[in-house]
Amino acid sequence: MLVQLLVSGIAVGSVYALVALGMTILYRSTTVVNFCHGEFFMLGAFGVVVAQQLLGWSYGVSIVFALVLLLAVGVLTERVLIRPLRNAPFVTLAMMTVALSYLLKGVSRFFYGREVVPLPPLLAGEPIELGGAVLFAQDALIVGFTAVVVAGFFVFFQRTQLGKVIQAASQAPRGASLVGINVPLLRNAMWGVGAVMGAAAGILIAPNTLVYPDMGGHMLIRAFAAMCLGGFGSFPGAVLGGVTLGVLENLVGGFVSSALVEITAYLVIVAVLVLRPQGILGEGRSVRA
Amino acid sequence: MQFTKRRAMWSLAAATALAVVPALSAAQATTGVSPDKIRIGMFGPLTGPTAVGSLPLLGASAIYKSVNDRGGIHGRKIELVIEDDACDPNKAIAATKKLVSQEQVFMVHGGWCSGAVMAIKPELARTPDVPFMVLGAANSAISTPVTPNIFHPIATTATVARSMVDFALTKPGAKRVAIISHSDEWGKSHLEPALAQLKAQGLESVETVYLERGQVDATSQVLRLKAAKPDVVLAVLYPPELTIYLRDSLKYGVKAPTVTTQGVSIEDMVKRVAMPAATKELFVFYPLADTLDSPAYRKWVDLYRKYNPKDPVETLSFMGMTGALAVVEALEKAGPDLTREKFMAELNKLRNFDPGIQSGPLTFTPEQHAGISAGKVIYMSGDKPQIAAKYPASK
Repeated sequence: MLVQLLVSGIAVGSVYALVALGMTILYRSTTVVNFCHGEFFMLGAFGVVVAQQLLGWSYGVSIVFALVLLLAVGVLTERVLIRPLRNAPFVTLAMMTVALSYLLKGVSRFFYGREVVPLPPLLAGEPIELGGAVLFAQDALIVGFTAVVVAGFFVFFQRTQLGKVIQAASQAPRGASLVGINVPLLRNAMWGVGAVMGAAAGILIAPNTLVYPDMGGHMLIRAFAAMCLGGFGSFPGAVLGGVTLGVLENLVGGFVSSALVEITAYLVIVAVLVLRPQGILGEGRSVRA
Repeated sequence: MQFTKRRAMWSLAAATALAVVPALSAAQATTGVSPDKIRIGMFGPLTGPTAVGSLPLLGASAIYKSVNDRGGIHGRKIELVIEDDACDPNKAIAATKKLVSQEQVFMVHGGWCSGAVMAIKPELARTPDVPFMVLGAANSAISTPVTPNIFHPIATTATVARSMVDFALTKPGAKRVAIISHSDEWGKSHLEPALAQLKAQGLESVETVYLERGQVDATSQVLRLKAAKPDVVLAVLYPPELTIYLRDSLKYGVKAPTVTTQGVSIEDMVKRVAMPAATKELFVFYPLADTLDSPAYRKWVDLYRKYNPKDPVETLSFMGMTGALAVVEALEKAGPDLTREKFMAELNKLRNFDPGIQSGPLTFTPEQHAGISAGKVIYMSGDKPQIAAKYPASK
């Protein structure tokens, strides 16, 4: 049972990690905490449903459509709603993302209010035996995809010129602008990438959870908990936090009480903020008195 | 003489006015009733993950619309004012306040989620003159103890839970019963009577686990159940979480049959789970008198389709109909001089009211507002739903 709980926890935690990564990208590049990221997650899954049901496209083409759609949604969100507020206080930006979250949820409820739509697994096949535990093909795909994305991000941000430029621009936007870097364009691109990350997570988990307009809300809380646990703004922290949270939820449910699974994310947020506000991999910050 | 004639005419006019005014003032004094209309407020989850609970609302509204098409009740048409509570207690409170205070309805017929109805119960207790007919929420605590203006025309959670346990124990050799449940008010309202019913049989739950609303994974719960080696699992879950549980049960090899509540439609669940092996041993408490494709049920299916041609026809579609028919019956018996007091008095006189929709007859008395006390289960036999009182021998 322990091994199975660990294996399953890593699979679910990988989805948390992907959502947290998408939010971290936005936070790092724009300092915006995106409260509508759960809706990007939901729209990704619905993009596949719409392309399959209304347009009759194959699963593969529908996934590509959904990812491109969310890239466009992310880019447009930044250009139309966020950029005009670039000089506004942080709370204004946060409220804009909250408003957008309710708007997107409302639109999907308008069209799919009553429906909970099943999606077939992306990868069917025999389960894999792992030391007495069973790993299903869909879960293996989730873990594998997350590993590839994490590796890709590491290489991009640590080894490529563009990745370093983006990091520099996010840390010192005025300086970056002075040396000729198009900071608004970079931020715009990061909104697109963040939305695609959310959509990818939604598409991966949808065959397990079904697709419905409110599916993003709970995921957002878990992504926040993952970011807090790993370290707000840290890429490896988001991954570590997500996977740790997934495993923790399963272990608590399996060995302590299933009634505590739901509140594990909240307990993590509270515990981290009290004991180690910077998270596991975050850097400590000095605060002016 | 002229003076006398004029005086006589004035006297006649005054007498006529005196005769008419009380009748008019009685009609005007009853909120939500006008000479040609009775305003009935309805609410249910029209949106959100539990929006399948809008189907009972559609069924009940079909009854009211059919009454209007037949000319109404004592010359009055029923006007429906519909609100969305999304099964959210806060929204249910807002919807009820709006219907009662702003829309000035005669009565309210609504509530599919028990949490939402329990949240408005204090508000209803504060306005004892406003009749409330429950649409589909099943929590026993809604009608026990009795609140004079709350009428509960469906099998309560206590009835459902006892029936689930009784059915589970009809499986040959079944002694080990496990439970997976929500921990909210609705879950507890099933859990406690189920545990009491097990205890009455000299048994205890071999494992009780909780799966909360919105959770995306049931691995830890399913593994705990599997370790307990149950003969039967009682699942007290709303449709989205039951879907996750059934899928995970199949994945992790839980072989025990699952018996679940009336909050689920078997047809909807088979579609949602989309894994026939996962729903092969699923038994759902069945609140209706017959299967939807039976000849006896055709007239109700046709009526529902007439007013909701684009909406799905499922078990839940008919759960609000008996309550609506009880409302119509009481409105007719209350007569043309309708008041809320007369209406509730007529509801309290309903005995063995059985239009042939639900699993048993409806009876309300001043001391008993939980009106239905019988039910069976339904399961899929191949592609066809079958009703059973005992665990089928073919399984």
